[in-house]
Amino acid sequence: MQPAVSLQGLRKSFGDFVAVHDVTLEVAPGSVFGLLGPNGAGKTTTIRMLMDILGPDAGEVHLFGHPRTREDLDRIGYLPEERGLYRKMTVTDQLVFLGELHGLKKRESLPRIESWLEKVGLADRAKAKLEELSKGMQQKIQLVGTLLHEPELVILDEPFSGLDPINQVLFKDVLDEYRAAGRTILFSTHVMEQAEKLCDHIALIAHGRVALAGPLAQLKRQFGGDSFLVKAAAPLDDLSGIDGIAEAHVETDTARVLLAPEAEGHDVLKRLVERYPIREFSSDEPTLEEIFVKAVADAA
Amino acid sequence: MQHKVLTITKREYLSRLKTKGFWISTVLMPLIMLAWMVLPSLILSKSKGGLHLALVDETGRLEAGISEAVADLGNRPELQLAIDLEVVPPAGPELYPELDQRILRGEIDAWLAITEEGLEQRQLEYHGRSVSNVLTLESLERMISRLVRTDRLTAAGYDPDEVAELTRGIDLQTIRVSEEGSEADAGWGDLALAMGLFTLLYMAIIIYGNMVMHGVLEEKSNRVVEVMVSSVTPFELMAGKLLGIGAASLTQLAIWIGSAALLTAPGLVAALSLLPADSAMPTLSLGVVFHFFALFLLGYTLYASFYALIGAAFNNPQEAQQLASFGIVLLVAPWMVFMPILNDPDSTLAVVMSLIPFFTPLIMMLRIAVKMPPDWQIALGYLFTIGLDILMIWVCARVYRVGILMYGKRPTIKEIWKWARYS
Repeated sequence: MQPAVSLQGLRKSFGDFVAVHDVTLEVAPGSVFGLLGPNGAGKTTTIRMLMDILGPDAGEVHLFGHPRTREDLDRIGYLPEERGLYRKMTVTDQLVFLGELHGLKKRESLPRIESWLEKVGLADRAKAKLEELSKGMQQKIQLVGTLLHEPELVILDEPFSGLDPINQVLFKDVLDEYRAAGRTILFSTHVMEQAEKLCDHIALIAHGRVALAGPLAQLKRQFGGDSFLVKAAAPLDDLSGIDGIAEAHVETDTARVLLAPEAEGHDVLKRLVERYPIREFSSDEPTLEEIFVKAVADAA
Repeated sequence: MQHKVLTITKREYLSRLKTKGFWISTVLMPLIMLAWMVLPSLILSKSKGGLHLALVDETGRLEAGISEAVADLGNRPELQLAIDLEVVPPAGPELYPELDQRILRGEIDAWLAITEEGLEQRQLEYHGRSVSNVLTLESLERMISRLVRTDRLTAAGYDPDEVAELTRGIDLQTIRVSEEGSEADAGWGDLALAMGLFTLLYMAIIIYGNMVMHGVLEEKSNRVVEVMVSSVTPFELMAGKLLGIGAASLTQLAIWIGSAALLTAPGLVAALSLLPADSAMPTLSLGVVFHFFALFLLGYTLYASFYALIGAAFNNPQEAQQLASFGIVLLVAPWMVFMPILNDPDSTLAVVMSLIPFFTPLIMMLRIAVKMPPDWQIALGYLFTIGLDILMIWVCARVYRVGILMYGKRPTIKEIWKWARYS
């Protein structure tokens, strides 16, 4: 299948400052793709180039399998990091307007707006002006505005920054629904735990370059090696002699083992169970945070 | 992509029309203009009070004439002069310090002494708390000169009635010649029309230009702009805003011009007896109305796109003020030459000023209202201004595109110029 998003060698500088050196990545359709990196890594600039808000100095953007056109942008729901709405407009007018900008006729959007407002619990505020709503309510309206035209691709820049806890749950639920419906989600964040919970694919960006990219599970394996934690009811011997274990650090009844390249965890567990009263055998894979620190260190 | 510009235009237009301010100003403005035009003469003609003048006539020959002339002032409101006369009998030189005291105590505004000596030296003494009321003084001077002339001629043995007949002045009955036919005209009617159209154009350009600037600033500070540029190009966003606010301003101007046309309909105002019965009202010709709207559009485009640039470049109204005042300076400049051009709408000054695109909208309007300039000058003025409009939109759109995504530090003029040259 054609990737939903394909960025080839994107580069952007502002004066002498190079914000994005070289970003190449692909987002498979139906995936939840996390664009990770610390603040100032070039995430927002990359997304802005993807959205045709900034023109790249070099590189290309392909969407839905072809070079990007302005029409493609109507198939995207974009929630920028710096976001806001017209304060003097009513909730319904605002949403109708955002729908129209994406080619949605008023009579098409009105029923959708109604059911969305029902869903986020703001049905009674349809006629209220935005400035009369609380910040949390405004965030909900903003999310509705992003998804109203039922985009095939949702792009969220730091979606969780500034969200209150209730909305964090709402946003996560909505994203889960979207994923379940087979749509593609690309979001950026500097909070690794969030990405770890939500993403199936990631790209780590540091200093304007992709430091690391791929399916999350595979990256964890790659970075953790295949590391497991073993606990037994009795003292353990040196485990490095066991078939499939490349390395072992034993401290009486606890051990950290690193599997040999072709070995599978469950085979090793079977062998261990035959010899020791094993109480625990768990994957000791690194957190994204650890992977990120290592990747950045490697890149430097 | 046209539909997106239209969507934005519609939003801008409706959101302006939905504000109370729009309708309040729509109703208030004609009232203010009307008040401004008719109130002064209305007040003068109805009020008894004016300059409280104490008159001391040591000669005893002019007192009666002055009293009569002052009484007659009430019938001539166009002189814009009202005098409240108090005749003080002569009482020797010690009277004058006493009169000065009365001025200081605020009992009278001024005193005027007519003495034989003064008449001989052709200089009469006038003491007043204020002597800067030049218009009043000039009228007073004219009035007394006329009476003194009559007095001298009478003294020389001429018959007073004959003198009055022989020295009667004339009034110019001004008749304006235009393609639409000659019409008798009270002069000031044309002046009021020119003044009105000029002021209206000036205010509309400033008000709506500023509205564009504040609209852009608001979108920027609300961060709506980020959401917007993901589905429309900055140029479409700017175009939609300019068109929407432009449409709102046209709506308002159409209401104003329409009501002005109605109000100046022959007879109506006169019937309300707000104006002297013999003054002819200026009538708005279709040609003038056409040029008014065309020049408004040219001027609005020029200044509003400039204001859009300012709004995009800065973060808040305070920062924007410096550059915005530059636009005001260009708009105020035509006021400096307002009177000379009104007086001679074909002078070199008028022609040159009306062909400088920054000034064309206002100056050409003034010239057209006073006296239709040659076609080639109008055409050239339009051409230059359209050219500058296009250039302005091009430059401003480029700055706008960069500026709307820039937050934080206030940019320098040099940086803004650099943005314009980004590819």
